[in-house]
Amino acid sequence: MMSISVKNIVFGYTATPVIRDVSFQVDKGEFISILGPNGSGKSTLLKTINGLYVPLSGRVELMGENIERYKRREIAKRVSLVPQDTSLQFEFTVEEVVTMGRHPFKGRFEREDERDRKLIYEAMEMTNTFDIRDRLITEISGGERQRVFIAKAIAQNTGIILLDEPTSHLDINHQIDILNLLRKMNQEKGITIILVIHDINLATRYSDRILLLKKGSIIGQGTPEDVITTENILNAYGMRVAVERNKYTGHISVIPLEVSKRIRSELNIRVHVISGGGSGQDLINVLYHRGYQLSLGVLNAGDTDWQYAKSLKIPVSEEKPFSGISDRSARKNREMLGDADLVVMTNVPIGSGNLRNLKMACESLENGKRVIYLKDRKYEEFDYTGGEATALLERMIGKGLSVVDSMDQLLREIS
Amino acid sequence: MKGNIRIRSYGLTMLILLILLILMIGITSTIGSANIGPMDVYRVVASKIPGMGGFVDSSSITASQHSIIWSVRLPRVLLGVIVGAGLSISGASFQGLLKNPMADPYILGISSGAALGAAIAIILKLETALMGFSGISVMAFVGALIAVTLVYNIGRIRSQVPVTTLLLAGVAVGQFLTAITSLLMVIYNRDMTKIIYWTLGSLSGKGWNPITTISIPIIAAMVILLFFSRDINIMLTGEESAKSLGVNVERIKVYVLLLGTFITSMAVSISGIIGFVGLIIPHIVRLIVGPDHRILLPASAIVGSIFMVFTDTIARTVISPMEIPVGIITAIFGGPFFIYLLRSKKKTL
Repeated sequence: MMSISVKNIVFGYTATPVIRDVSFQVDKGEFISILGPNGSGKSTLLKTINGLYVPLSGRVELMGENIERYKRREIAKRVSLVPQDTSLQFEFTVEEVVTMGRHPFKGRFEREDERDRKLIYEAMEMTNTFDIRDRLITEISGGERQRVFIAKAIAQNTGIILLDEPTSHLDINHQIDILNLLRKMNQEKGITIILVIHDINLATRYSDRILLLKKGSIIGQGTPEDVITTENILNAYGMRVAVERNKYTGHISVIPLEVSKRIRSELNIRVHVISGGGSGQDLINVLYHRGYQLSLGVLNAGDTDWQYAKSLKIPVSEEKPFSGISDRSARKNREMLGDADLVVMTNVPIGSGNLRNLKMACESLENGKRVIYLKDRKYEEFDYTGGEATALLERMIGKGLSVVDSMDQLLREIS
Repeated sequence: MKGNIRIRSYGLTMLILLILLILMIGITSTIGSANIGPMDVYRVVASKIPGMGGFVDSSSITASQHSIIWSVRLPRVLLGVIVGAGLSISGASFQGLLKNPMADPYILGISSGAALGAAIAIILKLETALMGFSGISVMAFVGALIAVTLVYNIGRIRSQVPVTTLLLAGVAVGQFLTAITSLLMVIYNRDMTKIIYWTLGSLSGKGWNPITTISIPIIAAMVILLFFSRDINIMLTGEESAKSLGVNVERIKVYVLLLGTFITSMAVSISGIIGFVGLIIPHIVRLIVGPDHRILLPASAIVGSIFMVFTDTIARTVISPMEIPVGIITAIFGGPFFIYLLRSKKKTL
């Protein structure tokens, strides 16, 4: 069932529109995050959805009916808002603030009845604010205050809750706390959640769908996987990011790399990196931002270093996932090695699959290339080839392989 | 700590305050050059209530005592009750509505408008009374209304009235009108003393007439103001938050401003500009009953009455037969007391 339907809305505080022709729909029980850089119109959009702002054109429909037809009180019975600013200088108790959530349902002099009490207490239980119900709102922490305002919205007992950056001033533990609470309400009570949030990784972790805004227009909407791509983030934020699946939560996450506007000074030095399994990430990052011309290989498609290199648009000689290095990819890699002024290899563990990388590094060394071995990572085991890799490495050391222990040392070596 | 400072029971709080007020009326009515006991005051009042006269033994009260109580003391005390209540409830609702602890009933230019009106009336010697009001009262009332209308229209941005612009407009218009009043005082320096005395506020020598005329509209406006107490509560959480809770913020703002302005203008036109009551009483009451306007507003009204009657008694007795303008007394007593409360409150935090 449709909860909210936004149809071609345009809104501006002055003549310049802040929201430009935005359309989307929210189904009942969805968890939606609105993302976008500062000034992209996220909060404005949220308030327009709540009928606080009247769009210049287009309309917002609540349960199929134009929201402008509703009285404020009627909207308040269906949609609650947790505002961005939860500061309150007046010394209400926590319980008094939560009780305000019942306002839309009460007549002028009507007191809260049993049912109201029950909802208020439930809301406080859910948000873990029951124990602080007699404390003053002016004397609790920011995280607690945020939970109290969410409790107020829960006590309002609406099917839809809008939240304007509920986590922006909170520590990470409180951020997760709040979002877990929202997810719980979403899953257990079927409450539709629409959230404006800054943290992309939190958004992807908790939302069913994401709306990505840029300058008041939607530039992407759909599942986190569909919306949070390197291209979209670059487009919206002007920021180069790596997008990967977080190995602990399994959700799409972004790693900020570089603001695209900042032009990096290019050096005319080509460096080929031999790495794998994430062992090259720091190295690639450092060399890339110092302006070295990089190439990588051979890497299996999907490898962490491979993903990282792709996000920076670094050429990679790649092999199919979980396969040993074929002649084809080896040939390409040799070309890259030939073009390089310098080869840097990480101490990635060597097995039968990538032994060929080590052999090719050895060839380059024999051809007179400068090869540096960066031994900055701690691996329990280096050699999974039964001694072959170790022997090869020792031979390379004999032929002038420079071994460095840290990134700093490497940078001193090559500069 | 804070739990036991705050009195939760609405009914009990109001009852205690009402009893205190009645005691205060009785006691302060007895204080003065004529020798009168507190019970005499209640007897005189009871004897005036239709149907009660037969049950009250007022034989011990002489005619002159009766006349002093009924014609001199009581109207003055009751005027204090009305003015104190009106200023305090307006101050409390303005502080809530504007979310500004510095707000008082005069913040939107009422005082300076009224002062200018009164000054003009004094200079032009407008003695003709209108509906039982002196020319000064009428001009003060008109001046106050004009000032607030001006402030409201300057502060308004299309259909909305942002609090900050409203406050700034109030300050600007207030300063402007005060400057004109000062200019008038310099030019017509013969009337300066009278104007200054008026602006310091006084409850003396008004008789029953103004009370009967202003008390009904003021009490009615105060009761209507109570209708909006929960809305004001919710508006303290922010205007957008309040709207999302179904409060019609802009409309409530206009209603509360109108009612507060009306009450204050009425009070000021009779009593002159009595300062401090409308600023300090709401703060004192808030420290005791908390910020919930459902109890804050009525409690402020009663505490304001008590305070006003108390300070006026001091004003008329301390250097008797001379009178000190009551506005001076309110500040002299209210200031230190409030500072004491503020300090002791800080320590508990």
